[in-house]
Amino acid sequence: MRILIVEDDRLLREQLAEAFLAEGYVVETAADGENGLYMAQEYPIDLAVVDLGLPKLTGVELIKKLRKSGKKLPILILTARDAWQSKVEGLEAGADDYQTKPFNTPELLARCRALVRRSGGWASATLSSAQYALDTGAKVLQVDGNTVELTSYEYRVLEYLLTHAGKVISKSTLSEHLYSDEDERDSNVIEVFIRRLRIKLDPEGTVNPITTLRGEGYRWDLPRA
Amino acid sequence: MRSLRTRLLLAASLTLAVFMVMVGAALDRAFESSAQQSQYERMQALVYALLGNLEPNPYGDLTLSASKLPDARLEHPQSGLEAALFSDTTALLWGSPSLSDKVPTPASEPPGEWRFVEGKMSFTLLFGLRYANEGSVPHNYTLLVAEDAAAYRQQISRYRRTLWGALAAGATVLLLFQGAVLRWSLRPLRGLVRELRAVEKGERETIDGSYPDELLPLMQGLNAMISAERTRQSRYRNALGDLAHSLKTPLAVLQGISERPAHADASANIAEQVSRMGHIVAHQLKRAATFGGRTMAEPMALRPLVEKLSAALTKVYASRETRFEIIMPADLRLRADAGDLYELFGNLMDNAAKYGKRRVRVAAVRLVASVSVNVDDDGAGFPDDAENLLERGVRADTRQEGQGLGLAAVKDIVEAYGGTLALSTNDWGGGRVSITLNA
Repeated sequence: MRILIVEDDRLLREQLAEAFLAEGYVVETAADGENGLYMAQEYPIDLAVVDLGLPKLTGVELIKKLRKSGKKLPILILTARDAWQSKVEGLEAGADDYQTKPFNTPELLARCRALVRRSGGWASATLSSAQYALDTGAKVLQVDGNTVELTSYEYRVLEYLLTHAGKVISKSTLSEHLYSDEDERDSNVIEVFIRRLRIKLDPEGTVNPITTLRGEGYRWDLPRA
Repeated sequence: MRSLRTRLLLAASLTLAVFMVMVGAALDRAFESSAQQSQYERMQALVYALLGNLEPNPYGDLTLSASKLPDARLEHPQSGLEAALFSDTTALLWGSPSLSDKVPTPASEPPGEWRFVEGKMSFTLLFGLRYANEGSVPHNYTLLVAEDAAAYRQQISRYRRTLWGALAAGATVLLLFQGAVLRWSLRPLRGLVRELRAVEKGERETIDGSYPDELLPLMQGLNAMISAERTRQSRYRNALGDLAHSLKTPLAVLQGISERPAHADASANIAEQVSRMGHIVAHQLKRAATFGGRTMAEPMALRPLVEKLSAALTKVYASRETRFEIIMPADLRLRADAGDLYELFGNLMDNAAKYGKRRVRVAAVRLVASVSVNVDDDGAGFPDDAENLLERGVRADTRQEGQGLGLAAVKDIVEAYGGTLALSTNDWGGGRVSITLNA
């Protein structure tokens, strides 16, 4: 998942970036509203965390412009002003959730996970499909109740496919959302991860949860529970 | 021009001056034209009388018999009243004994025509007539009557002096009266200012003199503002004191941690104290921000505000699919600060959504002089000691996170508006917060 953090306080921005990196997100940051708006429009962002009091363009204006340009990505607002009037203003502008400062980092991460899940149409923290259950909080995959070990990248690929279960995800989309710009982007690597995932998910090759659509990409094909 | 009195007096004197000048001019004109009219009529009467004295002279021309002149003044030189008869060749046929040589020879008047001339020094009336002696050719004659204007002018100027003198005296009296009326009408305002100064100096609590009806709303508004300001000041003072005092404990703990050699759970302790300090700051900020004044606030429509909050909270609690029901008339209004109402209902509805399962109901009705609001959730209801948490004297830093903090903020706002708050259980078995606010 690629997250955009728009926050003008350098320390807090770095702290947030670090926390989201540790969670396995690809992190983009912007220090003011204009830059934030540019990045949200130009990059394949899955989630934005926006401070309300931003220089150049306020958080509320940024969100309004983003929504006006048709972007539907989930947005969480961070605000030092915990007055309900300003929360309502932010949510009315098009934000999906809010978090007041000072905040508790695990809670912020949980809210962000929930927003991403919701954008994929999932209500609970565990993405369940047939015998598979991916706990996005604990980052644990269970198959028929047994825990299956996944590497960090395997987890990210699976989380992305499951979150958007039923939709065709191209290799380039996967690499865009899972790698930062600095990473080597090689579509062969994606193929390798998919192959390894298939072996771990379905050692006997009977369920076939991930379908390959030649020239288009991959799709999680089992029904959501 | 900054004083009301000066403005009113100036306006009154200007109006009065214009009015007096207009009245004076009209009266002056009316008097002068009536004096002139009577002058004309008098001279005309004299002409008619003289016509009766006309008689032919032996040469076939007309003349006047001097024996029975109609006005005695015609007989005396320099009496100011003169008469003369001219032929159509403007030769003087007859002149009264009083006739002076100052009277100019007039152009001959057509028969039957009157001509009235108002000169600088005198009035002249000319009358043209035609007369034929028996058997001879008829001739035109002009009869002249002139009267000195000195008396007339004197009369007019005497009248003017009296008129303008009386008008000026009247205006002065009216102005003095107006000034007195102003002083008397503005007295309550001066009293109000005096009382306000006394309040400012702290000599008295409120403005409570008796004032005319027009000033009552002003006085009530000022009183409400004074009391709101006072409440706010004391709230700031208390909040500042509470803030400083309640921050001391976690600071002491932190100091203790820093003085000890590195300890295994030091970072957990620091985190705990920091979060405690965060809550204290948040709570006191909310308290300080509560406006609480119902003074000049426009009555706020409640329903749109609650609808906005429910739309916002529906997003926040989207994963639970919490449903918000709003039961209140669209025209229900509360005289309160918008920010306070957002805090009040935001906290109540957020709490209800947080502790309920998936239903929240906000119902409000107008009672006689108040508005009653119930906020219900379908959760497990309040713990038994919930009421204790709301008691006075339970300080912010000893309150628990969550329900306690939100409700404490609600209670502060309700108290700032002089309302009441109660906790109970609703028909779903969940918690109900009931508040009443003065409408």
